[in-house]
Amino acid sequence: MGNAPENALVKLETEARQVRLEITKFKTRTGIGHLASALSVVDILVSLYLDPESSFDPNSDKLFFGKAHGGPAVYPILAKLNFFPLAELDRYCTPNGILRLHPDSTIPGCEFVGGSLGNAIGFAAGVAWANRNINCVVVLGDAELYEGSVWESLLFIAHHDLINLQIIIDRNEMGTIGKTEDLLKLEPLDEKFTSFGFDTVRIDGHNYKQLRSALNRSSKSPKVTIANTIKGKGISYMEGRYEYHVIIPKSQNDISKALEELT
Amino acid sequence: MKAQRDEFLDKLFEEAVNDSSIILISVDMGAPALDRWRSDLPNQFFSAGISEQNAINVASGLASQNKKVFVYMMACWVARCFEQIRYSCAMSGNKITIIGNGVGLGYAPAGPAHEPTEDIAYMRSLLGLEIISPASALQIPSLVEYLLNEPRLTYVRLERNVPELIDKIVADKGPLFVSNFRTNPYVFHKSIESRKIDVTIFSSGYMLDRSVKCADKLSGENLNAQVIDVCKVTSLNTEDFENLIVDTDYVVTIEEQTIAGGFGSAILEVLSEIKLIPVLRIGIDDRYIFENGTRESLLNENGLSIETISNRIKAFAQSF
Repeated sequence: MGNAPENALVKLETEARQVRLEITKFKTRTGIGHLASALSVVDILVSLYLDPESSFDPNSDKLFFGKAHGGPAVYPILAKLNFFPLAELDRYCTPNGILRLHPDSTIPGCEFVGGSLGNAIGFAAGVAWANRNINCVVVLGDAELYEGSVWESLLFIAHHDLINLQIIIDRNEMGTIGKTEDLLKLEPLDEKFTSFGFDTVRIDGHNYKQLRSALNRSSKSPKVTIANTIKGKGISYMEGRYEYHVIIPKSQNDISKALEELT
Repeated sequence: MKAQRDEFLDKLFEEAVNDSSIILISVDMGAPALDRWRSDLPNQFFSAGISEQNAINVASGLASQNKKVFVYMMACWVARCFEQIRYSCAMSGNKITIIGNGVGLGYAPAGPAHEPTEDIAYMRSLLGLEIISPASALQIPSLVEYLLNEPRLTYVRLERNVPELIDKIVADKGPLFVSNFRTNPYVFHKSIESRKIDVTIFSSGYMLDRSVKCADKLSGENLNAQVIDVCKVTSLNTEDFENLIVDTDYVVTIEEQTIAGGFGSAILEVLSEIKLIPVLRIGIDDRYIFENGTRESLLNENGLSIETISNRIKAFAQSF
């Protein structure tokens, strides 16, 4: 039937809810990391890794986190795909655990080293240049775009026509201390990327139909997908509030409410 | 004598013709030796533009895919991509070679922005990075072989030009010496033969010329001196240095760098693990040099004239 793909999309939303729940559990249990930044990027990752229509192959393609502070969002997905045992989620940021605040290449399924903004894109460009048959996906935070090194790499990727590399911007509109457009304007982003030579689209980064269509589109140019997202997505009192960039809910009330909303 | 950079790029080219994993990235730097890279090896050479950060990041990505990557830039700009060298290379275990051209006051009178006089200090703070500072272009071919055979994260500090005396001293060591960088990372010069050594002077690169002239001068004034040029500034071997300073009363280090954390500090650190011995570190004055002048005249005026160095060494020796 024609609605089979639509059913798959609904299933992805269920998967995403579970991923958000897992992230929130290990973040609130430890109080370590950047929960809001992880929540905004979840649907992008679920679409890449779990959509049966996705062209991204988790076993052979490579995902590079620019915004590695949001990277733990991928942990529940990698556990589900058997890159490491599910029990590792319970050991997040503990001495016996393999999962860290910033994903790095010691973790199965993760690439490079996490923690310094503006560098993964150039590293990925080197990998993509050396292996035109490997699909490389770079997830950048929007506030990461303030790093000049990103724009150096964009020039390089466009000039060398690295069509095996695609860039996804997690456009949650926020840095640590406020909205990007209030602090230091980034827009118009579409025009910037297009003028650099990228095939650029902007989508709702929480809409699986749009994600599927954007992330798997074929193009003759390197692709940028600007995914409009909501920081803290899924936990009502965190959504769109920059104060939660470095704050993880601590009170039992807040934690219970968060887990309830995600269950 | 060819410039060190041309010697380097020519030798690397010869190797690259038979090894497609060798990649050269120019950070908007030219050189006569680059012409045939561009024409004959277009798949192994590219310009990264004036984008040091991206050049290092791309190089690290290439290295992760088993490419042997050389990034060619002005030595002063390694400070600009220090984070990328630390993060994308040192921390991530990606072994690339950074060819930094024009160390010390090599670009004089371009001004202090172009003249790195602290690069040994900040680069040697990086874990696992090897710093190599050749004095003569004659050492370059075997250095390139060494880098290809034993890949590691390396910063090669190339001189734009050196006084003729340096090439002569190295040439006098013979072809066997220059053909094996691995076993010959030190260049010796004894001002007086078969007598006890009072002062051992350690220098690196361009300073070999002035060090030898000082040593000859001091030896004529009853302070017997020898000079040892140290090409590999990092991972200094205590056994080597134990032998190098045997029968020496004082050690002096001479560098075209400000002395905080630099070459002399590196020597001081290794000696501190061997024995108690007086060490005098001599470097360029603690200032950024904006005045016009040639490299030679600026060195003379900023603490590194032969007269100043000799007098400081004499005063040091007399103070004990």
